[in-house]
Amino acid sequence: MSRRSVLRSAAGASVAGIAVTALAGTAGPAFAAATRPAAPAARGEATEATDTGPAEQVVVHLRDARSGEIDVFRGTSHTRVRDPELAARLVRASR
Amino acid sequence: MSSHREAPEISKDPVADSTDVYAFVSPDKPDTVTLIANYIPLQEPAGGPNFYEFGDDVLYEIHVDNDGDAVADITYQFRFETKLTTPDSFLYNTGPISSLHDPNWNSKQFYKVTRVERHGSHVLAGKLACPPCNVGILSTPDYEAKLGRHAVHSLAHGIKVFAGQRAEEFYVDLGSIFDLGNLRPLQQFNVFAKAHGLKSAPGVNASNRLNVHSIAIQVPISHLTRHGHPTIGVWTSASRQRARVHADAETEHFVSGPFTQVSRLGNPLFNEVIVPLGDKDRWNRTRPGSDKHFAKYVKHPELAGLLPVLYPGAFPHLAALDKARTARADLEAILLTGIPSGIIKGFTNFTGKVQADMLRLNTSIPPTPASSKKFSILGLIGGDPAGFPNGRRVTDDVVTIELRAIAGATVPLVDPKYVVDAVVPDVTDGLTGTSVKNKPLTAFPYLGVPYDGYHNPS
Repeated sequence: MSRRSVLRSAAGASVAGIAVTALAGTAGPAFAAATRPAAPAARGEATEATDTGPAEQVVVHLRDARSGEIDVFRGTSHTRVRDPELAARLVRASR
Repeated sequence: MSSHREAPEISKDPVADSTDVYAFVSPDKPDTVTLIANYIPLQEPAGGPNFYEFGDDVLYEIHVDNDGDAVADITYQFRFETKLTTPDSFLYNTGPISSLHDPNWNSKQFYKVTRVERHGSHVLAGKLACPPCNVGILSTPDYEAKLGRHAVHSLAHGIKVFAGQRAEEFYVDLGSIFDLGNLRPLQQFNVFAKAHGLKSAPGVNASNRLNVHSIAIQVPISHLTRHGHPTIGVWTSASRQRARVHADAETEHFVSGPFTQVSRLGNPLFNEVIVPLGDKDRWNRTRPGSDKHFAKYVKHPELAGLLPVLYPGAFPHLAALDKARTARADLEAILLTGIPSGIIKGFTNFTGKVQADMLRLNTSIPPTPASSKKFSILGLIGGDPAGFPNGRRVTDDVVTIELRAIAGATVPLVDPKYVVDAVVPDVTDGLTGTSVKNKPLTAFPYLGVPYDGYHNPS
């Protein structure tokens, strides 16, 4: 039995569910428009060369509520979003 | 220690803590280079029931720069996966482990090796078995014959790999050095030790009878070098994914995002002794190509200023050098650029002007047989160009070499008029390879058989 698979199956949707729902429910097209892919890794940077399978969970880090700067981590990718409206909603949701 | 627990953040994350890097032309196979990166420091051999293992969530890498820009041209990546044979047992093993696939071994680790180059990557091999930890004479009998040797995997094109527990071969009198810079052989001169009436004494190897986890790869030289450029720069790094959600009662840990570097190591003792406490974590997060920002610590190492204070009257010329704020161009060459040709007759490991902490190995210099009179654990300063700082061999006395270099032994390389203080040839922590109980092997992976938990400690 793989420890990773144990963790994956045990993790469930609780953590991810909140984050993904938050994005899907509030961001909409504006979110997509504001999204830009993370910068490709430069030569020599730490990037795993192999795929890690489907990423089912997403972590959102609200870096700066004022500017609306949000980091989205999914699988082995990172996307920087600037969406003040979403940031405000996240702040409200966290209170 | 070389880089064991050398910075505040990484000292709390031993699985990702790189401790030593070795790079040398393989003595028994001189058309190859052996690269070794050690992790998980100071392993107490009896540390069960959860014996040491690599992190499944850590990306381990060994990097090679072959064009002098301090950016990796070739990277070997190692990813591990732990598999439990009997998840409902608390035991590491439920009987003697007599092979790498023995069902009695509950917690097995496997790994994948990938070579990454500028234009892509390819997996060299997967599902490679690690050996178990050396639990004890009942659990892991005939360790090396039944387990250790079988964990050396031969891949295509003459490549060999090994990943698993090994004896710690790095020797250092940690207990003395970090007790106010005391060197036991010279402690009769140390201002604090003198006050305690301490006399000269042999060194004590603080890392003796401890284990580490090693990642070793042996590669044909032609796979690493660029035509006409025999010198390579080598370092290791460990990276973790940027986001981690810790578990609660309902969930398990979750990691996400790209990998970010949390630990790196090139030259021994660089972050440990050269970089100040307030910058050590940042150094671990940056890449060698940015090391010009740390060059000021090499030009004016704190330890060079401390030695004359700790040993009053023993280092008058070093004290004068420090007082004059003379930049240590000798140390910059040794640690940041390599030694240009024309400074030491017939020798260079210069990689260019880019300042970077990389272990530089001139692969065109043949290995010195251990039986040769020319062989010296003091490497280049001992007249042996096949040793540190030309790469690093397992037995090289890097503590003494760097102590003497910082004390001024290498200043004449850049200032022939400089007179080295008379005490410098005696500067040492008083240890040699004889201070290590389990000796290095004569063949890949070279590091000795790990100490077992039944006899160690005793």
